Amino acid sequence: MTQAGLSVELRGLSRRYGAVAALAPSDLTINPGEFVTLLGPSGSGKSTLLHLLAGYVDPSSGRVLIGGKDVTTVPARRRNIGMVFQNYALFPHMSVGQNVGYGLRVRGWAKARIVARVEEMLDVVRLSGLAGRRVDTLSGGQQQRVALARALAIEPDLILMDEPLGALDRQLRRDVQLELRRLHEAQRRTTLYVTHDQEEALILSDRVAVMRSGRIEQIGTARQLYDRPASAFVAGFIGESNLLAGRITSARDGHAEIELAGVGGALRAPAANGLSDGDEARLMLRPEHLRLNGTGRLEARVTERVYLGELTALRLALNSGEQLWLRQMAGQAPHPGDTVRVDWSVDAQWIVPCT
Amino acid sequence: MNARSRSPRFLLHVTAALVLAFLMLPILAVVPASFSEARFIRLPPDAYTLDWYGAFLSDRDWRAAFLTSLHVAIAVTVFSVVLGTAAALGLRRVPGHAGAMLLALFVSPLIVPVIVTAVAVYRTALDIHLNSTFLGVVFSHSLIALPFVIVNVGISLRGVSDDWLKAAAGLGAHPLTVFRTVTLPAVMPGVTGGAVFAFITSFDEITISLFITGAQTKTLPVKIWEDIRLEFTPVVAVAATLLIALALLLFLGIALVNRLYGRRAA
Repeated sequence: MTQAGLSVELRGLSRRYGAVAALAPSDLTINPGEFVTLLGPSGSGKSTLLHLLAGYVDPSSGRVLIGGKDVTTVPARRRNIGMVFQNYALFPHMSVGQNVGYGLRVRGWAKARIVARVEEMLDVVRLSGLAGRRVDTLSGGQQQRVALARALAIEPDLILMDEPLGALDRQLRRDVQLELRRLHEAQRRTTLYVTHDQEEALILSDRVAVMRSGRIEQIGTARQLYDRPASAFVAGFIGESNLLAGRITSARDGHAEIELAGVGGALRAPAANGLSDGDEARLMLRPEHLRLNGTGRLEARVTERVYLGELTALRLALNSGEQLWLRQMAGQAPHPGDTVRVDWSVDAQWIVPCT
Repeated sequence: MNARSRSPRFLLHVTAALVLAFLMLPILAVVPASFSEARFIRLPPDAYTLDWYGAFLSDRDWRAAFLTSLHVAIAVTVFSVVLGTAAALGLRRVPGHAGAMLLALFVSPLIVPVIVTAVAVYRTALDIHLNSTFLGVVFSHSLIALPFVIVNVGISLRGVSDDWLKAAAGLGAHPLTVFRTVTLPAVMPGVTGGAVFAFITSFDEITISLFITGAQTKTLPVKIWEDIRLEFTPVVAVAATLLIALALLLFLGIALVNRLYGRRAA
């Protein structure tokens, strides 16, 4: 099984509930076999987008194309999409095997063929031999894998997962994440995954779409989102970041000059799109890009020291009152109360709009 | 455990037993009466016999009334289970305030005094010539049996997750298949419960029946009512005992069904 998935394309897809836009008109293209994650806080429109794609909700405008075919008006049951729900949504009055075989039964498969396929699917999710078990005798992690097997059994063109690990505890979540990655590597089915856990998004995805207030704020690889976030919101949502307040004095050709309000002085750095003269903006500095240096640009006072094993995190207060987090290898770190100078490499600087 | 903590519990048990006796004894009194050898009812009976059961079965009028009640109750059960289940499914899809208002309207026959319903039904049935007919009795009984089905199925439906229905649809199931394979099995306890309530509601209905039944459609409670105004014979007690036994049997039936479902699905 290589490349079992189809491409997905959303064109101006939107959904309104009365005056509220659950999803503003949005475009999104997913390549065949790609694993894309929708990441965002609750209420940002992730689930709405997923349900529109599955066909459970009708769009207010726009088209949905799967494998190049317009399926906007095709009912959910004819879209051949495997959906995995947060609360598993297993049928409680059916056995594990009946759950996994449900999609095949409604497709009219012969009994023997269903039994064989169910066994095969249970092997894939490592639940071999549990076909006869009652669903409620399984653990949460096992139930989630039954739900996955049920979605995979129908050979879906597309897999949708709506916070599938939300109900699992941390350790189990990590195990299932790795399991999902292994499965995706093996099957290469086009997958759209919804989560509000940024770490999960980075572990699983080829690309991540960050959503906010019913819009896709930015889509890109984990690296693009981390190094070159499109806004202060994305910078804050993916990883940790220090954001120094300032105002743009000139912006051109992907660079901008920012006048830092608290620190005093201006500097020129690569900048996100959409900035123009006079805009409020933020200079983003990741904690691991800061270093202590006797001749550094800014003077700061250490207010907190946190031991993280191989790393030490320091909280620094600038004279302006702004706070910075700095991470460095454990060792000869200064103590709270010490005055230090902070520096950073020029290519770590990145200017973002403050919205 | 000392006496202080035991005595309130003891009082509770005694009170509960007294209330239970108050509720049950007058009803259960007819059971020994139906086995009494005397022509007139005397409690407790001097001697026991099954003669009155024989008398009940060999009397054409009693048999006819019993069979009429049975036929009516079965028809009412089928009619109100189909209609009530459909109504409960529909009500689930009406959101918020409107849904609550509609539900109140649907179950209003439970709240309106039965005598008011009876008079209204009687007047309406006259206009459409359903008085004294089998269909008229079935329709009027269904009026007060339906709310039981709607409420029972409605409660079961609350346990049905929308995600199950979405999952089934996503796996390729037609809405009718989703209903047959997911929704219906999940609400089956509510449907059987509603069915039993509907059956019993019809089987022992008297108020509306006094207005709407005729010579050819006389139900068992109406026959009991008419007979008892002449004389309380042990045959009346037999009819009453049969009513009690049937209700008891049906409720035991649901308990059993629910326990079986519980074991399979819970």
